[in-house]
Amino acid sequence: MNKVIIINLNGIAYQLEENGYEALRGYLDAAAGRLEGNPDRDEIIADIEQSIADKFRAVLGANKTVVVTQEVEDVIEEMGPVQDASDAAPGGAPGGAAAQKPAPGAAAAAGEAPPPKRLYRIREGAQLFGVCNGLAAYFNIDVTLIRILFACMVLAGGGGVVLYLAMALVVPWANTAAEKAAATGSPSTAEEFIRRAKEGYYEGMKTFGDRRAFREWKWKFKQEMRQRKRDFQNEMRQNAEQWRTNWHQHWSQWPHPHPGWWFAFPLLGLMSAALTLLCLASIASLVLTGAVFGFFFPAGIHLWMGILILLVVFSLLKLPLKAIRYSCYCHGGYGPGYYRPVLHVWSSLVWVAFLVILLWALNSHSGHAHAAIEHVRAAAHHVVDALRDWWNTPSPRP
Amino acid sequence: MIINEKFTAIRKGLLEFLVLKIVAADKVYVADILNQLSGTEFATQEGTLYPLLSKMRREELVDYEWKESEAGPPRKYYQLTAKGREQLRETEDYWQQISATVKSLGQPAGPQTEANAPR
Repeated sequence: MNKVIIINLNGIAYQLEENGYEALRGYLDAAAGRLEGNPDRDEIIADIEQSIADKFRAVLGANKTVVVTQEVEDVIEEMGPVQDASDAAPGGAPGGAAAQKPAPGAAAAAGEAPPPKRLYRIREGAQLFGVCNGLAAYFNIDVTLIRILFACMVLAGGGGVVLYLAMALVVPWANTAAEKAAATGSPSTAEEFIRRAKEGYYEGMKTFGDRRAFREWKWKFKQEMRQRKRDFQNEMRQNAEQWRTNWHQHWSQWPHPHPGWWFAFPLLGLMSAALTLLCLASIASLVLTGAVFGFFFPAGIHLWMGILILLVVFSLLKLPLKAIRYSCYCHGGYGPGYYRPVLHVWSSLVWVAFLVILLWALNSHSGHAHAAIEHVRAAAHHVVDALRDWWNTPSPRP
Repeated sequence: MIINEKFTAIRKGLLEFLVLKIVAADKVYVADILNQLSGTEFATQEGTLYPLLSKMRREELVDYEWKESEAGPPRKYYQLTAKGREQLRETEDYWQQISATVKSLGQPAGPQTEANAPR
């Protein structure tokens, strides 16, 4: 079973199978395109339609009312491609002329077009960084929908978080009035595309009865859609470029630490931690034995004085490490380093990894450590049990 | 086949001349022209003929009038204008010239060219 489309060829209705209709429409569109600029274009097309109608009539009869696709294709085959006789002299010109044609129209359309809509983050009514708000304004969709979409992306795998943060970083705030207008105001791109498509379509439907006007409209409509598509692509490209520059500006504001820092920074942390441990151990040694690892302070120095001296000495030892770390923060003299938190997070990760490896090594290579860890585990269980008991026992009434 | 392709441009160029000849003989409509050409080397299709006729009409070589047909809507019957007749005459003369040239060239004008003729 095939859908049938009724067409009007020079005032007489014919029923065509859908695919046949598409083929015929393609043929006539191509013909109209190739005869572009020919003053008799409409007349030639009318003649051709007339001829096609004659051929259709030949295949139809009292018991056959529909032109099937194969018959349409045969007729098109029989007609042959439409070649503009006036263009015959300069060889190959028709194609070139047709291709060149939209260019001036495109320039004119671009010139009169309102300033393009841009993607900005919008502060008014923003929940977080205004990304969803900006997107909603850009595509003219309810902001709730965008937020739900983002929430779904977050739940579906966390890609939403990265996307959101990246956009929050890269997409600029709409600050000035012009930017706000560009963010929300003038219709453009997607929405405009759809609106124009609808409008054009209905307008076209109105003139459906008038064959010539319909063809004219169809051609214009196609041109316009093509132009819209080009504009949309241009705009996307511009946006991408803007975002790229924003991204560069954003990162160039902050000093880039030398890659070596990513290695040196945790190492420095480990070294200063080792010094701190050593400091604590020496203090413990002083308190317990009265001497620092067997080294006695001169007589007359009190215990508290000794501890103080140890603290000063160790902090002096740590000073160069601290200085190096600080110079890392302030690398390039840009003030408080932007990388500070990042480096700290990185440093803590290295620390955690270091501790895990240390514990694992102790656990598997030293019997004492293994026993101690087992003991700690037992103690932890004990503490947890005690806490639970305390929680479960009804508190005595005051 | 190769010769057929080589002469595509010539056939295309001659089509107008042939259409002039056909239209000159009688008032015809497009299907008649196609029929007359169909058996020959110059067989063509509506897609080519309609634009050509339109161009010829614009150049005032042919004119058409609507005539009722026994079945279906009225048809365009083409006929030559005075200018078309003039052009046909000129073209026929020119064609005579051309075919004379084609015939005469390469003919043995003297014994020395005989040797060059590839056989």
